[in-house]
Amino acid sequence: MDLLLRSARIIDPSQYSRIRILDILIRNGQIVSIGKNLKNTSGTKEITIKNSYVSPGWFDLYAGFCDPGYEYKEDLQSGSLAAASGGFTGIGLRPDTHPVLDSKGSIEYVINKTKNNIVDIFPYGAISQNLNGADITEMIDMARAGAAAFTDADQSVADAGLMMRCLLYAKGVGKPILHFPKTSSLSPDAQMNEGETSVRLGMPGEPAISEELMVNRDIYLSEYTNTPCHLLKLSAAGSVQLVKRAKNKHIPVTASVTAYHLLLDEHLLESYNSNYKLSPVLRTLKDKRALIKGLKEGIIDVICSDHNPQDMDAKKKEFAYSEYGMINLQTAFAVANTALQNKLPLSKLIEAIAINPRKILGLPIPQIAIGQKANLTIFDPKQSWTFTKNNIKSKSANSPFIGLKLTGKPLGIINNNQLYLNKT
Amino acid sequence: MGALSVKHLLGIKYLKTSDIQTIFSTADRFKEVLSRPIKKIPSLRDITIANLFFENSTRTRISFELAEKRLSADIVNFSASSSSVKKGETLIDTVNNILAMKVDMVVMRHPAPGAPVLLSRHIDANIINAGDGINEHPTQALLDAYSIRERIGCVAGKKIVIVGDIMHSRVALSNIFCLKKLGAKVMLCGPPTLIPKFIDTLGIIVEYDIRKALEWCDVANILRIQLERMEHTADGKTVRYFPSLREYALYYGVNKQLLDSLKNEVIIMHPGPINRGVEITSNVADSKQSIILDQVENGVAIRMAVLYLLAGKVME
Repeated sequence: MDLLLRSARIIDPSQYSRIRILDILIRNGQIVSIGKNLKNTSGTKEITIKNSYVSPGWFDLYAGFCDPGYEYKEDLQSGSLAAASGGFTGIGLRPDTHPVLDSKGSIEYVINKTKNNIVDIFPYGAISQNLNGADITEMIDMARAGAAAFTDADQSVADAGLMMRCLLYAKGVGKPILHFPKTSSLSPDAQMNEGETSVRLGMPGEPAISEELMVNRDIYLSEYTNTPCHLLKLSAAGSVQLVKRAKNKHIPVTASVTAYHLLLDEHLLESYNSNYKLSPVLRTLKDKRALIKGLKEGIIDVICSDHNPQDMDAKKKEFAYSEYGMINLQTAFAVANTALQNKLPLSKLIEAIAINPRKILGLPIPQIAIGQKANLTIFDPKQSWTFTKNNIKSKSANSPFIGLKLTGKPLGIINNNQLYLNKT
Repeated sequence: MGALSVKHLLGIKYLKTSDIQTIFSTADRFKEVLSRPIKKIPSLRDITIANLFFENSTRTRISFELAEKRLSADIVNFSASSSSVKKGETLIDTVNNILAMKVDMVVMRHPAPGAPVLLSRHIDANIINAGDGINEHPTQALLDAYSIRERIGCVAGKKIVIVGDIMHSRVALSNIFCLKKLGAKVMLCGPPTLIPKFIDTLGIIVEYDIRKALEWCDVANILRIQLERMEHTADGKTVRYFPSLREYALYYGVNKQLLDSLKNEVIIMHPGPINRGVEITSNVADSKQSIILDQVENGVAIRMAVLYLLAGKVME
C-alpha cells in the first residue's frame, strides 16, 4: 500500500511533546518520508482530511470477540472490523470464550484466524483452567503459541494462593497477569453499586470495598513476588488511592479504566435499563471524578474499551437476568474524549490508548518516523457525531451510546500494509 | 374521586402523597361496599385483568383476585416458577402473549427488582406491581399505612418500627417510602447483617435492640423471616445472615412477655404469612394489640381502590 497523508497533525507522545503538521509518505506499508509539502512524483494516492490528527495506532487492552463459542454475538472478523472502525490497530482479547482460551490450541485458533488482519489480535490465555479459579493453566505453552498475557477476564481470582503462584509462574514466562479485582463473597447477588441509589431501587449493591480489598491484596502479592500485576478496569475512588500509594512505593502495578466509567455513573440505573449493567458496576460521581484525576496523575495507565457484545435476547430482559457489558470499540475513543475534554491533554489520552497498553504487554511501540512500519490511527478529536444503529460494525448492538452525541471521531487506521477508512 | 398522577403502580417511590390520599379515600368507599350483604359492584365490568405470578404467592394473589371479582372484572391467572422463565420464554414474550388476548391490566409478582418498570416500557396495559424481588410491594405498604390510619386516626407524626429482615424484604422499602410520604417517623430494627448499609439515606433510624425499638414506637410492623431468601450460594457456598432461627426468636422475636414489660402499648402488624414462634409468638399475633387481620381485610379494599383508579385511566 502506497499513500501520502497530507497536512496531518502528528501527535506521537513517545517521541515529541508537541503536535507537528506534516505530510507522511507511506510505501509498502513503511513510512518513507515525513516533511512539509512532500512532492508526489510517482502519483501516489493522496489523503487530505481537514483537521485530522495522526497518532501511533491505538491499542485496546481489553475486549471480547466471543469467538469461539458465541459467534452469534461477535466473531473475530466482525470484532476486528469494529476495532478498525474504532481506530484500533491492536486488540488484547479476553479468553472467556467457549471453550475458554486456556490451551495452546485455542490460542493458535485465534492467531491463525486473524492472520493478515489489518488489526493485530493478541489473545490472552486464561489464568485458571476453564476459568475454574483453582488450577493453573499451561502458561509457557500458551505464551509460545502467542498468548500476550494471562487473565481470567471478569472473573476475579478469589484464591490468594493461586494468584500468587500465577504471578510467579507468569514471571518465568515473561508475560503479565491482568487481574479484575472483585471480592465476590461480600455481595454475591449484587449487580450495581452499593449506595443511596441501590437502596432506592431495591437492588442488592456491591460495595466499593469489594474492589478495594482485592486491589489491596493484589498490590501486596505484586510487592511480595516482585512481579508486575495489571489491575483491570478500576471503578472506585479508593482503588485509585491504593494504586497511587503502591506506585509511590515502586510496586510494579499498573491500572486501567474503561472509557465508559469516565462518562457514566450509577444514576443511569434509575430506569433499570440493562444496557447499564456493566462489569465493574457504575459507581458514583465522586468515583468518576477520582478516575479522571487518576488518569491525569498517571496513576491509571490505560483506557480500555471493555468491548463486550451481547445479543439482544441477552439484554432485553429483567436487569437481574440480563448479561453484563456493552459494545464499545467504535465509541471508546469518543466516550473517553467526551469525558476528558478540557480535563486531560490529548497527548495523555493517546498515551493511555496507544502507548501504555503496549508497554504493559511488552509490545513494541509504533513510532511515526522514517523507516518505521506505518501503524497509525487517523482521527478528529473535535468532530461531533452521533453513533447510530447503522454505524454498528459489531454483530451485537448493546450500546447505551446509540443516538448520543459524542465528541471525537476515529476516521481510519493504517496497519499491516492496509488502509481502513470510516465512511464520512 | 380524583385521578392518580401515574399510569401504573410500579412502586410507592413513584407516587405523590396526594395519590396515596386518593387511594385511601377511594378505599374508604370500597370498605363500605365490602360491609354490604351484596359485595359486588360492576365498576370494572369491561376490564380484563391478568394476574401474572412469576413467584409463589398465596395471600397477595387471593387478595387481588378477590378485589378484581368484587369489581366484576374478568380475570386470567398465570403462574410460573421463576426458573422456567429464566430458562425459556422471556418476560416480555410471556406478557405480550397474554396481552394479545386483549388484556387491559396486569398485576405482576416477579422475583427481579425493576421487572414491572421493564414491562411498562414495552406494553400498553396498566401495570400493578404485586412485588418485585426485594424492591417494592406497593399495595402492601398502602394497606399497612391504611390500617395504621384506621386504628390510630392518622399516620403523620406517628412512630413506626419495622422489625426483621429488611435486606430481603420487599415490604420494608415500600413501607418506608409510604410512611415517610405520609409524615411518619420510621425506625428499622433487626440483626445488622439484615440491614442494608445505606438504608439510613432514606431518612430512617436504625436500632439493633428490639426492646429499645419497641419502647420508642407506636406501631411495630414485624416482617416475616424469609427463610427461602435467607440462604444464598456464592462460589458454591451457602451464605447465612444469622446463625439459627432459635437465636433469632430469642433476640429479635416479639413475645407477650416483652410487650407486657413495656410502658407503652404497641400496635402489632405483620404482612403474613407468620412464622409463629419465630419473629412473633402466637399470643402476640392473636392479641388485641394486633391488627394483622385488619390488614388482610383492608388489603382487599386497597387493591380495589388501586384497580379502580388505574382502570379509570383505561376508560379515559
